[in-house]
Amino acid sequence: MPWPALVRVRGRSMLPTYRDGDVLLVVRGVRPRAGRAAVVRLPPDAHGVPRPLSVKRVTGRDPDAPTRWWVDSDNPAEGVTSFDVGSLDEADVLALVLGSVHRGLG
Amino acid sequence: MLSLFRITDVSAHCDLPCGVYDPAQARIEAESIKAIIAKVADNPDPDFRTRAILIKEQRSELVKHHLWVLWTDYFKAPHFEKYPELHTLFNEATKLAGASGTKGELDAGKADELLAKIDEIARIFAETKKA
Repeated sequence: MPWPALVRVRGRSMLPTYRDGDVLLVVRGVRPRAGRAAVVRLPPDAHGVPRPLSVKRVTGRDPDAPTRWWVDSDNPAEGVTSFDVGSLDEADVLALVLGSVHRGLG
Repeated sequence: MLSLFRITDVSAHCDLPCGVYDPAQARIEAESIKAIIAKVADNPDPDFRTRAILIKEQRSELVKHHLWVLWTDYFKAPHFEKYPELHTLFNEATKLAGASGTKGELDAGKADELLAKIDEIARIFAETKKA
């Protein structure tokens, strides 16, 4: 069953859509959908250090592995994306963004 | 973890997840500036010179950018305590990439000075990585 949650954006990789400090209403327990922003779990970095939960744009299914999802940042100049870390398992797309409920100052 | 009653921070950040820093980025741009200065010296074609100068200014901006990222994001208070010359080094290096340095001039000597400053920063960077 879907359930809602609140997250706060930290950083600039989702500009111009979401900016630093924006509070987003997200919904858990729903399937990823191409084109939607989502809260995702990225794989650990090269040193094995876990990355924090991130907000990314789900751009579509991985053409080489149709059960997996490709994610990107909205800001082409910033952000760790599937171009760096590959596509994500469906279980790592934790929640879909419904919209912004508070606008940050950033 | 994700809840309606507690706001979770989610990263839309570049540096936070990757933490990859390297003075080599600034060095490559500075080497490029030095090579551009040499090419301009050998080429009287005004169109070529205009392009070269534009690119040299862009590369100089990139040197400043990469140095600033190291200065503000990589190096932390304990580094500045241990290497008190760091602030001055960054200040001088970014100046050497500015209008009074490689950005505004076609002086190979300035490019060499800039490379020397970047090497000095790289030496300290390498020491902090060992620690």
